[in-house]
Amino acid sequence: MLNLPLFNFDALSLLMICLVGFIGLVVGSFSLRYMAGDRKKKAFFVQLALLISSISILVSADFMPLLVLAWWVSNLLLCRIMLHKSEWAAAKASAHLALKNFTLGAIALASAVAILGWSSGTWQISALKFSSIPTMAMAFSGVLILIAALSQSAIWPFHRWLLSSLNSPTPVSALMHAGLVNGGGFLIARFAFVFLEQAWLMQWVFILGSITALLGTCWKLMQHDVKRMLACSTMGQMGFMLAECGLGLFAAAISHLIWHGMFKAYLFLNSGSAATEKRVLLNTHPSKLHFLIAICLGGLGAISFAYVSQRPLLPHDTSLFIHVLAWVACTQGALSVLQSQFRFNLLIAAAVSVLIAMIYAGNLSLIEYLLEPMQILVPQSMVAIHWIVLGLLLIVWLLMFLRYMLPEQSYVPGWRLRLYVSMLNASQPSAKTVTAHRNHYQY
Amino acid sequence: MKFFGQEIKHPEKLDLHQFNDHAHHDIENLKQDIHSSWGKIAPTWPLKNLIAVNPLMGFDSLPFEQALVEAEKYFLQKEIPQQMLEVNRHSIKWLQAFYDQGQSSIAMPLRHLGLLHSTLMLLKHDRSLVQRGSWQQAWLEALPESAEEIIQSCLSFLNIEKDDYALMMTLMLTTLPGWSAYTKYRCEWADAADQQQHVVSESEYLAFRLLLTCLIWPDAQELLIWHHTISPNQTNQDKFLDGLHKSEQQYQHRLLNQLSKQKPPVDMHCPSAQWIFCIDVRSEPFRRALESTGDYQTLGFAGFFGLPISVRDQITDDNYASCPVLLKPQFEIQQSPCCDHEHHQRGHLRMQGLKRIYQSLKYNFTTPFNLVETLGLATGLWMGLKSLVPNLALKLKSTASQTIRTNFVNDIDISGIPLEQQINQSANALKMMGLCKNFAPLVIFCGHGSATQNNAYATALDCGACGGRHGGTNAQVLAKMLNQSSVRNALAEMNIIIPDDTVFLAAQHNTTTDEVEIFSEETSDHFAHNLEKIKNDLVQARHKNSAWRLAQLYPQKSDAQPALTTQHHAQDWAQVRPEWGLSKNASFIIGPRWLTQQVDLEGRSFLHSYEWNEDKEASSLTTILTAPMIVTHWINSQYFFSTLDNIAFGGGSKISKNITGKIGIMQGNASDLMHGLPLQSVFKNDDEPYHECLRLSVMVYAPHEMIKSVIDQHSNLQKLFANGWIHLFCLDPVSKQQYQLSQELVWTPLN
Repeated sequence: MLNLPLFNFDALSLLMICLVGFIGLVVGSFSLRYMAGDRKKKAFFVQLALLISSISILVSADFMPLLVLAWWVSNLLLCRIMLHKSEWAAAKASAHLALKNFTLGAIALASAVAILGWSSGTWQISALKFSSIPTMAMAFSGVLILIAALSQSAIWPFHRWLLSSLNSPTPVSALMHAGLVNGGGFLIARFAFVFLEQAWLMQWVFILGSITALLGTCWKLMQHDVKRMLACSTMGQMGFMLAECGLGLFAAAISHLIWHGMFKAYLFLNSGSAATEKRVLLNTHPSKLHFLIAICLGGLGAISFAYVSQRPLLPHDTSLFIHVLAWVACTQGALSVLQSQFRFNLLIAAAVSVLIAMIYAGNLSLIEYLLEPMQILVPQSMVAIHWIVLGLLLIVWLLMFLRYMLPEQSYVPGWRLRLYVSMLNASQPSAKTVTAHRNHYQY
Repeated sequence: MKFFGQEIKHPEKLDLHQFNDHAHHDIENLKQDIHSSWGKIAPTWPLKNLIAVNPLMGFDSLPFEQALVEAEKYFLQKEIPQQMLEVNRHSIKWLQAFYDQGQSSIAMPLRHLGLLHSTLMLLKHDRSLVQRGSWQQAWLEALPESAEEIIQSCLSFLNIEKDDYALMMTLMLTTLPGWSAYTKYRCEWADAADQQQHVVSESEYLAFRLLLTCLIWPDAQELLIWHHTISPNQTNQDKFLDGLHKSEQQYQHRLLNQLSKQKPPVDMHCPSAQWIFCIDVRSEPFRRALESTGDYQTLGFAGFFGLPISVRDQITDDNYASCPVLLKPQFEIQQSPCCDHEHHQRGHLRMQGLKRIYQSLKYNFTTPFNLVETLGLATGLWMGLKSLVPNLALKLKSTASQTIRTNFVNDIDISGIPLEQQINQSANALKMMGLCKNFAPLVIFCGHGSATQNNAYATALDCGACGGRHGGTNAQVLAKMLNQSSVRNALAEMNIIIPDDTVFLAAQHNTTTDEVEIFSEETSDHFAHNLEKIKNDLVQARHKNSAWRLAQLYPQKSDAQPALTTQHHAQDWAQVRPEWGLSKNASFIIGPRWLTQQVDLEGRSFLHSYEWNEDKEASSLTTILTAPMIVTHWINSQYFFSTLDNIAFGGGSKISKNITGKIGIMQGNASDLMHGLPLQSVFKNDDEPYHECLRLSVMVYAPHEMIKSVIDQHSNLQKLFANGWIHLFCLDPVSKQQYQLSQELVWTPLN
């Protein structure tokens, strides 16, 4: 069988290649000057080129063993480029931790592929959809693919490697956060049919994603150094991406993956400016009137969102999540305008709300439109767990306002101290990856 | 978990009553020990004003050679005991949290209680260290209140002999040197705003370190044993010192030789303009370039122009000290737009409003998921432009920010300085720079600052004399004072007669691009013509100096458009070597300009103008030796040690740096606070240094008896010269002899 079609260049793989290629180009040109004088500069560029090629193969592979191979090779290369200077013990420990994590993922993926291949008799992903696979095989392979995705995208409880990965050079972090860490979302979208047929699995995807989204965001807000803050933020964003997959909104998850990747790559490359970034005082507590107006203006935003993305205002399925999030963001945007001193506050607040909604809708619809032929936008009907998480997302957002009401010197109850310490400890990098003695650092 | 083993091993340590016996230990003695242990630590400044310091300042009462041996014992050890690593990890975690100046949105609670008591409260809840019902918990609960008492309890818990108290505490500091150095800064140097909010004291920090040590490593007295087993590598040391002496002598010999050939000018003609630059080594090549373009006289003076001021921006309400860190600002200068205040105020508020929208979505729950999708496309495009067509990106950026907030020229309000003080300050400044007669029609005070992007170490390239800020404002203040007739009249009474047609101007030298911006107020025709000529000359000087600097950066390449290339450096967010800063600095020359004018000093010399025969009581010389010289010595030592060992005394590579708490640099996930200059500032590449390690050679053009009399009065100077931290040379104008000050503080004739 020599004419095995190894590749399948569909909308998803083309989009991914564009993303990785673009980020690769930016990171590469950045590194030309950034890495000047580095002993391993040449090796770095070779590894960068290899990594981008291998990711390109990964995202366009149709022949499943090729997918597994590219997955494994890409992750090996990632570990190598993360390590950079092997004399630095902490960097070595980071790479080692990531390698262990990725090995687990690769084994899970290889097993899933083996199960799918043998039970269906076909090794083409594109052909799998049309072949019959026994329920048990489907369930096992689904769980295994999920494990691979969780480990790749640093979903709780597989998040440790990501929070410990910051010993790598800055450009590597930029590339990774826009690249391979998204592998989980890609993988689930690639095998969407496996998940869509098993509602319980979808719910697990959703639950694990939601936990990670909440934890990651909470940890992000607590971090004291810029890079770990970015890493925790990525963790939260990966959680959200996975939760979207769990809602059946695979296309929205891919949209999230792409736009988040670009945003985060930029923030990493720009992380040298962290010390000069001035925080505008956010701790002014909004008045009730401002809050009410903002909610209404947020509603205006939500209407614009629905209009631009050509959806009903209040969908009866899981797309409701995206609408509610749009509404929250528009409300927050309008509220911060009301709290600032613009000249025509109300007008600008309305404009900001509508603008946020329209750009969000535009970016989301662009990717959904490009992915339309794949038919991976399959909203599910809302069930209890969905409502709970949606409620939680609203409550934690509202709780953030309460925080501003507490003066710094007020009494803090014991449970809050315990919560703070346990969250702080949970978000620490793995011990061996910390350079606890200065002279252990090596360049 | 190590603690389980400890529960059985140290039951006696739960017997808290034993502390009461020790409580009578002389707390005064303990305070002495605390003080002496902190004596070994030099402070380090935060990123907002990176001031150069001698990292071995704590050892400068020792001879240089011996200080190196001590430094090796305390700071250069490749390994420390395994358990200490765990103590450090926990220390770093809490110090990161406590010292955070606005990175986290959910801050560490209870910080208002100070470092010790906030961490103590939180440690009780730290299940990774203190299990419920463990001995650690009971022990923590029973600790006394004050920091000194806690130190005492911890030291007796660890079974440390009284004689070893000081050493043990020193080791607590030197095994995590960067964070200790920052604490030293916070305790002794930080401005009130930083310190008042979250208090920390030297005792508190030691108590905090010892507490963690007790919890994690009850056998920490082994740390003392470890320390005593260290034997410094004498042969390496000797080899290094041999090489150092040789290269210093080579450099000094060449320089002295060049200087001895210079002759004072016969007639003093009045130049078309006089420029006063900062003593910074980067001024030297630029002055040379500028002098070659026209009839200019240049002088060197501390870049804050002698003014102990702070500057408040009326639009943003930012306030900063713009003078050396050794001084306390005495006057506040108001800075505001020259016209249409209301309009610019609005612009500022608009910018703040936009930032608020962005930040309220970013540093929040739930909304960041949306934010990234909203901004993803735009940031992607922006990032692409910035990397692939940086010039276009910068144009776009400035157009956008212009639209939101129009640029304006700042006007300076000096009414914060009473007239009498204005007269005093200007008279002192003019006397110190030796400019009391022969005023040119134009006198230009030129401060300096750098321009870099995405550079955590940006302030290390700015004016150290202005406390790590841009020096233009100080120049503006002095020029403005001297242009007032009230000040001039008073100066005339002191015999400093400024001709009526002399105008004082302020300017700022951008050390990254070599552009000089002239802050001009006057607009008379004659004046405009002169200014036009000066601006043309500045373009030439810029071209010349940029070309020279690029040759230092890229020895292999020759550049057809040097000014354009340095411009790119200043605008490139990926640039790790925007300029060489003060690298290669090696000497400080105190004397008139003719002494150095014909010599190519290769940008390695600080230059201070000085006319000995107008300084009858040696008061200017005293100031120069006790203030600017100390600063140049600190700068020189910072570069020296950052090059000598970039890991122990420097910041490490910029490639893996991580900014913590907006105050400092860590390497990777978390590490000691990496104080000192980054690798890229002093090394050409990972393996080859660019900076050459040479101790500062100070050359003074004045009679040797006069210099000696100043030294005799200042023990601090004697200490530095006698211990070989600075080489002092005298170019005696009377005897025409060259002398070197020996370490016995005697002049040795050289030729």
